[in-house]
Amino acid sequence: MTPATLDPALSASKDERRVTRVRPELVTVLSTFALSALLIVASRFVSPALGSWGQAATVVSLSSFLIVAAFGQGLVILVGGLDLSVASLITLSAVLCTTWVGPEAGAAGILLIPAILVVCALIGAVSGLGITVLGIPPFIMTMATGIIVAAGALGYTSGTPRGSAPAPLLALMKGEVAGIPLLLIFTAAFVIAAAVLQQATGFGRRLYAVGASARAAFVAGVPVTRTVVAAYMLSATASGVAGLMLVGYSDGATLRMGDSYLLPTIAAVVVGGSSILGGSGSFVATVGGAVLLTTLGTVIAALGIGQGWRTVIEGSIILIALLLLRENTFARIRSWFPR
Amino acid sequence: MRTWKTGRAGALTTTLTTALMTALVGTAALGGPAAADEKKIKVYLSLSYSGNAWQSEAANVVKALAATPPYDKLVELKEVISGTDPQAQISAYESMIDAGAQGIISFPVSATALNRVVKRGCSKGVKFFMYDATITEPCAYNVSYVTAGFGENSAQALVNALGGKGKIFLSRGVPGNSVDKRHTDGAMSVFKKYPGIQIVSEYYSFWDDRTTQQETGKALAAHPDVDGIWAQAGEYGAIQALKDKGSKLVPVTGENSNGFRLALMDPAAKQAGLTGVSAGSPPATAGYAFKLMMEVLTAKRKLEPQNIEYPLPWVPADQVKVCKGQKFEDGCNAFPPNVVPNSFVTEVFNPELLPELSLQSALEGKPTPGATIQPLPAEVKRAPNSPGINCQPCKGPADEYKVTKVEVKPAR
Repeated sequence: MTPATLDPALSASKDERRVTRVRPELVTVLSTFALSALLIVASRFVSPALGSWGQAATVVSLSSFLIVAAFGQGLVILVGGLDLSVASLITLSAVLCTTWVGPEAGAAGILLIPAILVVCALIGAVSGLGITVLGIPPFIMTMATGIIVAAGALGYTSGTPRGSAPAPLLALMKGEVAGIPLLLIFTAAFVIAAAVLQQATGFGRRLYAVGASARAAFVAGVPVTRTVVAAYMLSATASGVAGLMLVGYSDGATLRMGDSYLLPTIAAVVVGGSSILGGSGSFVATVGGAVLLTTLGTVIAALGIGQGWRTVIEGSIILIALLLLRENTFARIRSWFPR
Repeated sequence: MRTWKTGRAGALTTTLTTALMTALVGTAALGGPAAADEKKIKVYLSLSYSGNAWQSEAANVVKALAATPPYDKLVELKEVISGTDPQAQISAYESMIDAGAQGIISFPVSATALNRVVKRGCSKGVKFFMYDATITEPCAYNVSYVTAGFGENSAQALVNALGGKGKIFLSRGVPGNSVDKRHTDGAMSVFKKYPGIQIVSEYYSFWDDRTTQQETGKALAAHPDVDGIWAQAGEYGAIQALKDKGSKLVPVTGENSNGFRLALMDPAAKQAGLTGVSAGSPPATAGYAFKLMMEVLTAKRKLEPQNIEYPLPWVPADQVKVCKGQKFEDGCNAFPPNVVPNSFVTEVFNPELLPELSLQSALEGKPTPGATIQPLPAEVKRAPNSPGINCQPCKGPADEYKVTKVEVKPAR
């Protein structure tokens, strides 16, 4: 024991374990994207019109909502929780957007959009505090928050959401800059910012630490409560952003808007190789998972088969992808071949 | 009090939550021990799910009518939303019967699952009026457009617009739902007659605009050369998916959303190839059913339980007309885009049967100022039998899928 090892300044030194962590994750990232690309190319066999840029554009626009919402879900799963209020928060932000802001909004109206995200973040804070301070299981707490929020949206609109999308959101979803869809630029920027936040900041490190062992993190001086609450706030805000994007996409809000996103967010995170128990995973791999699931949806939709079989295939492929893309799959395969 | 330091907070919360939940469940279901006005007629409104424009408008017009004089003094209306699974609606009916309901007006979630509880209610003298969706129990009144031929008529209109050949999508409703099946069977009876019609993609859109937009988007990725779309409710999403893809539009038949009707009359969209017809499910049925029920309960009308047909709304592209005011007047049948959302279902009004209603009633469930309840015409139209939809066991008429609204052009 040299005194140097006890120097507290060293505890903030570069984490050497990352070097060993990153490789299996990189494999997962590459595999999900490779599988998606393969699916797009192979889908020509299903329908000659597929496998084109047109399909890629469809995949980009349909997966963008899932990527944004899955980022939040991923953070919450990372700290060992689960966010079941994703669907309700997507709906809430969409409903608030069409009723508060609406199509005729001036500059002042546009300023309400951040206010909507603040409302979402506050709701996320309620979930986070219930989980950390009151000790309610994440599953139950977020379900309850989700139910209350959904009921609130129903009451607020008396069942019929008014209004339609503000112009900036329509532009975001349908506009182009120099021939590149604005949505693609936005999604790329979002992915980069989100990946940096999760993989390359002190806050991101703390998320991993809490997910790996809350008690160990607590002992090591990580502010566990604050970190967990922040994860739920970010998740709620990400759901809010997804809701705003959906308003731009379908030019209006419905009260069931978020319903079809809850389970896919969890699936995207898990297919992307994150542990459902928390403590490991990477956002870029989650993006791969989201793209893979959406591509799959477009290909399966083109198969001329009944709804029942479609769903069976979708479920099976998620399972297969999950088994193939687990971090230790490649290690296992190597272990079959004695050196 | 932190979870990672095993604290007692959890136990305390559990106790509190359980106590709260028990208290809530005890009182929530039917609004607790309400000080009911004994002289008022007790009516319950039972919804399955809420959350789409159609369901809330239907519920709103019932609430608005119940608050319109003289009914505001006559009837005490309570609303219960039970969700999409039949067992929840069964238990809601049970509670209503036990709470002494005289009438139950409801959107039934299943054509068969509710039969037993409805029968029990009938034996206690409860009048059941089902709107839009139907049940096969003969002691209930079914008030619905479902037998009026939406599927076959809209399919024929699409075939006519395509000149009898082309690739089409079917955008269906909810899998396994009897109404979706009836519409699709009717449509298929027409499409089968035309060998030139190719169904290249069939998908379920759950009667929802956004789901329709996504599913149609996926289908368009595989079949960009589609020539027409036959859609159930959610059709405005199909229009948007076409617009997302590019400039070419195709004939679309669908239901009654305001966005769809406005698109049908838009000259630019017409130029790009959009034509079609707006028909389908009218939320006005709920208002008609409620008024019939009140006339029966106040002994103004003698009517045995039966299947009653509401006429099929039918607005081809060239007949869309935007309203200037708060109602359908002077033959208008759509509203300006800044007045209602795109997903608003226009056919919530009926100048003959429901003159009491205005936009305020449809959007907020409030009565129209100054309106009073007008009597209904004495005649009701009996609906034909439709096996598994409004009767079981029974036989449908031989011409069940007869096209009535448009000309049947021979296949070439």
